[in-house]
Amino acid sequence: MENSSRSSSPALILLAWLLVGIPLGWGVYRSGLNAVKLFQPATAPATTPAAAPAK
Amino acid sequence: MSSFLDRDRSVAKPGFSRWLVPPAALAIHLSIGQVYAFSVFKNPLLALHGADGSVWSLKEVGYIFSIAIAVLGLSAAIFGAWLEKVGPRRAMVYAAICFGLGFEIASFGAANHSLVLIYLGYGVVGGIGLGLGYISPVSTLIKWFPDRPGLATGLAIMGFGGGALIGAPLGNELMTHFKAHGFANPIPATWITMGVLYFLFMLYGAFTIRVPAADWKPAGWVPSATHRALISSHNVSVQQAWKTPQFWLLWIVLCTNVTAGIGILEQAAPMIQDFFKGHVLAAAATGFVGLLSLFNMAGRFLWASVSDWLGRKVTYFIFFTIGPVLFFVMPFLGSNHANSVPLFVTVACIALTFYGGGFATIPAYLKDLFGGYNVSAIHGRLLTAWSTAGIVGPLIVNGILDHYKAAGLNRLDGYRLVLHIMVGLLCVGFVANLLVKPVDERHWLKEVPAGEPTGAAH
Repeated sequence: MENSSRSSSPALILLAWLLVGIPLGWGVYRSGLNAVKLFQPATAPATTPAAAPAK
Repeated sequence: MSSFLDRDRSVAKPGFSRWLVPPAALAIHLSIGQVYAFSVFKNPLLALHGADGSVWSLKEVGYIFSIAIAVLGLSAAIFGAWLEKVGPRRAMVYAAICFGLGFEIASFGAANHSLVLIYLGYGVVGGIGLGLGYISPVSTLIKWFPDRPGLATGLAIMGFGGGALIGAPLGNELMTHFKAHGFANPIPATWITMGVLYFLFMLYGAFTIRVPAADWKPAGWVPSATHRALISSHNVSVQQAWKTPQFWLLWIVLCTNVTAGIGILEQAAPMIQDFFKGHVLAAAATGFVGLLSLFNMAGRFLWASVSDWLGRKVTYFIFFTIGPVLFFVMPFLGSNHANSVPLFVTVACIALTFYGGGFATIPAYLKDLFGGYNVSAIHGRLLTAWSTAGIVGPLIVNGILDHYKAAGLNRLDGYRLVLHIMVGLLCVGFVANLLVKPVDERHWLKEVPAGEPTGAAH
């Protein structure tokens, strides 16, 4: 049987990806904010608890 | 309800897009990846006391995470063959139940100041959910993407890295929220909420997942006529696979690669502060940890996808040739030598992409060698290498650094020793990868047993 992706609605596929993409994007954004601190001048002590990196 | 979970009920109807399958797998991996953000609960847990008033030590609280990872490897190894029979949907639903229930039991433990209940809930019950969830989408993805197995499994396993990026801020935000609403101990409410949220999110994955029909193949795709020695057109059963030298060589490959990564991850924040004393403070070290997480996640997708073009052996060849060089030079980039923060960070981040890539490329390597028939089960057994590395890695790192501290020696020399031991381990991995040859014909499955789902070997 040959199959193609033509029958599944593109909107449904987009929605499926958005449902996982939005929380992942939020997590990446929050980590990005943390990462920026590395390139800021060393002046203030830390106030944010460090999360363990994904092993 | 039970029939809905059957493999037969999850076979995709004609016209179902295979691009709906990776989000289903991602929903599972983004959820269970929370385990690597467990450290956000360490300090709040340390502030709790046992029911008898005793203080919980860092070591005792650390066992929660260790139990969860150990049970992950064990349950993946034990339930892998069962998963192949019942299909991904049932396994995903059970994973959702276990992972969600684990949080609820643990919340009861936190409310009643019982560490044993937290071990049982988050560690054991949740750990079973981790193992089932980790391997459940692997063979399904490989069957949907016979043309790009690395990309497909890389997407899912990238989710495990991404799960920590979500789990850490989610845990922190929820604890802040509940504390602001009068909860003196915000952990139980946070865990109840997270248990429900992750349960629902994992169910979304379970209900979206579909397995392809037995004779399905991507439109217009024909298996490559070019013979590649390490891509088998035959299947090997899980019972046979772990009797082959190839299985144990890949076990060493995964174990050494993961142990080396732990050499950086275990002490990332204090290490960069020690290497650049006075220049990198705690906030910047947190940023370093965040950056490592991002590169770890990116490496999972990048390298697994690239392995579809390069081949798995070449991909690991890259990890095990460039990796040792990076680990070797890292101690010489600190303030007492080259004194370059950007160079140190760049080297560590590249090394972390190899670490993530090693996790994500291994399912496709297994599929190449053993075929798609039992790949989830074989992958499950291989994950015992991860459990081993999870014990050995921290033992090496913490053991050496504790010794240097106790003996009053220079901590920087301790880091150098740790990183150079990792160079040796990566060299062992290099040799193991080099020794991988096609699986001998006598291990091939002659025919798929009656009633068993057929898996594409292509």
